[in-house]
Amino acid sequence: MSNQTNESSSGKSSLLGWFDERYPVSSTWNKHVGEYYAPKNFNFWYFFGSLALIVLVNQIVTGIWLTMSYVPTNAGAFSSVEYIMRDVEWGWLLRYLHSTGASAFFIVIYLHMMRALLYGSYKKPRELVWVIGMLLFLVLMAEAFMGYLLPWGQMSFWGAQVIISLFGAIPVIGPDLALWIRGDFVISEVTLNRFFALHVIALPLVLVILVFMHLVALHHVGSNNPDGIEIKKLKDNKGIPLDGIRFHPYYSVKDAMGAVFFFILFALVLFYAPEGGGYFIEAPNFEPANPLKTPDHIVPVWYFTPFYAILRAVPDKFLGVVAMGAAVVILFALPWLDRCKVKSIRYRGNSYKVLLTILVISFFVLGFLGTQPSTPLYTKLAQIFTALYFMFFLVLPFTSANEKTKPVPERVT
Amino acid sequence: MKKILWIASLLLLPLTINVQAAGGYSIELESANNNLRDQESLKRGAVLFSNYCMACHSLKYMRYNRVARDLGWSDAEVISDMAHGLDTVTDNVMTRMQDGVALDVLGTKVPDLSLMARLKGDDYIYTFLRAYHQDDQGEWNNKVLKGTAMPNVLEGIERHSTPEEYAEAARDITNFLAYAGEPSKLQRLDLGWKVIAFLLVLLLLLYLLKKEYWRDIKH
Amino acid sequence: MSTEDQKSTDVNLTRRKVLTGATGVVGAVGAGFMAVPFLGSWMPSERAKAAGAPVNADVSRLQPGQMLTVSWRGKPVWVVRRTPEMLKILTENVTELRDPDSNESIQPDYSKNAFRSINEEFLVVVGICTHLGCAPLYRPAVGSPDMQEGWKGGFFCPCHGSRFDLAGRVAKSVPAPTNLVIPPYHFRTESIIRVGEDPTEGGVA
Repeated sequence: MSNQTNESSSGKSSLLGWFDERYPVSSTWNKHVGEYYAPKNFNFWYFFGSLALIVLVNQIVTGIWLTMSYVPTNAGAFSSVEYIMRDVEWGWLLRYLHSTGASAFFIVIYLHMMRALLYGSYKKPRELVWVIGMLLFLVLMAEAFMGYLLPWGQMSFWGAQVIISLFGAIPVIGPDLALWIRGDFVISEVTLNRFFALHVIALPLVLVILVFMHLVALHHVGSNNPDGIEIKKLKDNKGIPLDGIRFHPYYSVKDAMGAVFFFILFALVLFYAPEGGGYFIEAPNFEPANPLKTPDHIVPVWYFTPFYAILRAVPDKFLGVVAMGAAVVILFALPWLDRCKVKSIRYRGNSYKVLLTILVISFFVLGFLGTQPSTPLYTKLAQIFTALYFMFFLVLPFTSANEKTKPVPERVT
Repeated sequence: MKKILWIASLLLLPLTINVQAAGGYSIELESANNNLRDQESLKRGAVLFSNYCMACHSLKYMRYNRVARDLGWSDAEVISDMAHGLDTVTDNVMTRMQDGVALDVLGTKVPDLSLMARLKGDDYIYTFLRAYHQDDQGEWNNKVLKGTAMPNVLEGIERHSTPEEYAEAARDITNFLAYAGEPSKLQRLDLGWKVIAFLLVLLLLLYLLKKEYWRDIKH
Repeated sequence: MSTEDQKSTDVNLTRRKVLTGATGVVGAVGAGFMAVPFLGSWMPSERAKAAGAPVNADVSRLQPGQMLTVSWRGKPVWVVRRTPEMLKILTENVTELRDPDSNESIQPDYSKNAFRSINEEFLVVVGICTHLGCAPLYRPAVGSPDMQEGWKGGFFCPCHGSRFDLAGRVAKSVPAPTNLVIPPYHFRTESIIRVGEDPTEGGVA
């Protein structure tokens, strides 16, 4: 490997050679792009990693631009958003890019996680790729939650009010913790200021660092694939995986194509339904935050609703918070809960297929229930599907230990 | 490819369900049928808004010169037709009522209407404007928003013109408020298809390029 | 042999190059389009433009020799009502000036004349020194006590000692390179000066 690197750096261009002696330009490029060998059988599900990266860049760049005109004060927050929408040249586009991007981010991330569940990408040796990814998901949720307060509309205010109150449910320290997070007795400009600071710099920085670590971990162990086969097992005489192809140009071109396809869907929403039917930008948020008047029906943004439904399903306030937290945290343990050696769903037994189907259906149903007002029927349904959601994680260790799997081929298909 | 389309349609599915529709009003909302591209309707709506609404309501996020530009008025026209010569073109569209008067006279604060159409929807405004009725004691009330402090400002139009003219007046005001809710909306709609057309060209090129490169790969 | 190395002989490198080039060009154009909103959003917003809208200066109560200041686009604009004596000096001091005919200086065409004004009685000028942006002092009197000897009335910049006469013309051998800037303006009525707006065609100039 190192020989190759030297050849290409000294041979091609002297300027690059000059840099290579002082900074690992070529070797970094080769390790992560030019000579990163990825399995040749990536399918549609493998677009979402690069898409997530693109959306992150979109959020950061449009976010920086919004910061130039946004004012994080009680008096200025709501009207500065309208200032951006009306008075700043192209401000409406920048704002919609950011608000649509937030929802797109979660769509992409959920599909990205689904891919891991389908093809066992969290399994040995990729446990840390998964754990870092889960940390990313957690930070992303915090980032989205804090960002949602900034427009300072009714839903921003009351959504934050509800979520922060959750911390108040923790025994003993809860009330003080909620007070500490708010920095005031209600959500106020103090809260807005600290959420702004965390949203625009602290959490994005953590996200970028975690994305870097996620990629380093991935490129260290190599990518999984829809067959769940380790391509590094079979190599040719030059040490190149038989079923591997260079990331560049093959996947760079393919991912670019996927990205443009995604841009088209994104543009459809951005230009023709930026409110996302009331899910991406909720109508009550067009009314400025008013601490004295609660909207009739408080709903978190759609990407939180599955977890919100779990919270409401549990009749006890504290246990509800615990259940909601557990619904996220339990995902961290997935690599160890799933004891089946076979990775891909293509060769796994029916028990996993059934369990995964139940998990996905539960997630969708809970997501829907979270957007609805709680009626006795909906609460009952939420309880059933909460149980089914957790059942996946509790039953999996037993069914996966001696699952009836199909034979896994030697080479990718 | 089939899978891609399936997922894509799944992703767009929630957009077709409108959360706003879930609002529980005591009467069915009438369809406003307003058209943002109808500049004459918008101009009539702006003048009606000025004459019937601005005594109490403001559009504090709109500027007169923006209204003029978008509705096809000159600066002088917007000031004479909409501001009655009282404001300058760079002013925001503020109410003519003095601060604090509303609380004394109506017992409530009067909401700014800049974003009312986005908050409640066009149909709500249209229906609300037309939902006033008198009970047996002759007391005015509104079927959409019971007990509203707002008087039936279009009563005169209803009484002195045909039902069609009355409906048109309500529709024009609704249309103008829909415009004021998002003045860049037409710009957004007009830009969208151009962006998508461009992306389709790029997608085609990338598809051909991808196919060309992937000929190297033996399956 | 890994998969990709078994390149088939029929690989058309020209086609590949052309496609790469075309995609690159279209992609670059797309990136260019994408940059437009980001660059465009740095232009003055409608609010900034509204704040920078033309302003009126009412000179009806301005006595000869007096100056009033109005704020236009956040900058001080001075209106000086010049006396006949002042105007006379302006015709006599031409040799002491660096740019007496305002050839190097910024002013609308309609005030590029001997008194740098529409109506010679009124000087309308941006009160910012053309050197480094300080605000000069108004010292209209001949021989003002805090000015140097031979002072004929004008503006003095305390930062670096630049001197301007009562037409805003810069003196020779001072740091300021050009005359004070004359903004666009016109007379709305005899006593209302509209600063920031050129006279309309056929209007009162």
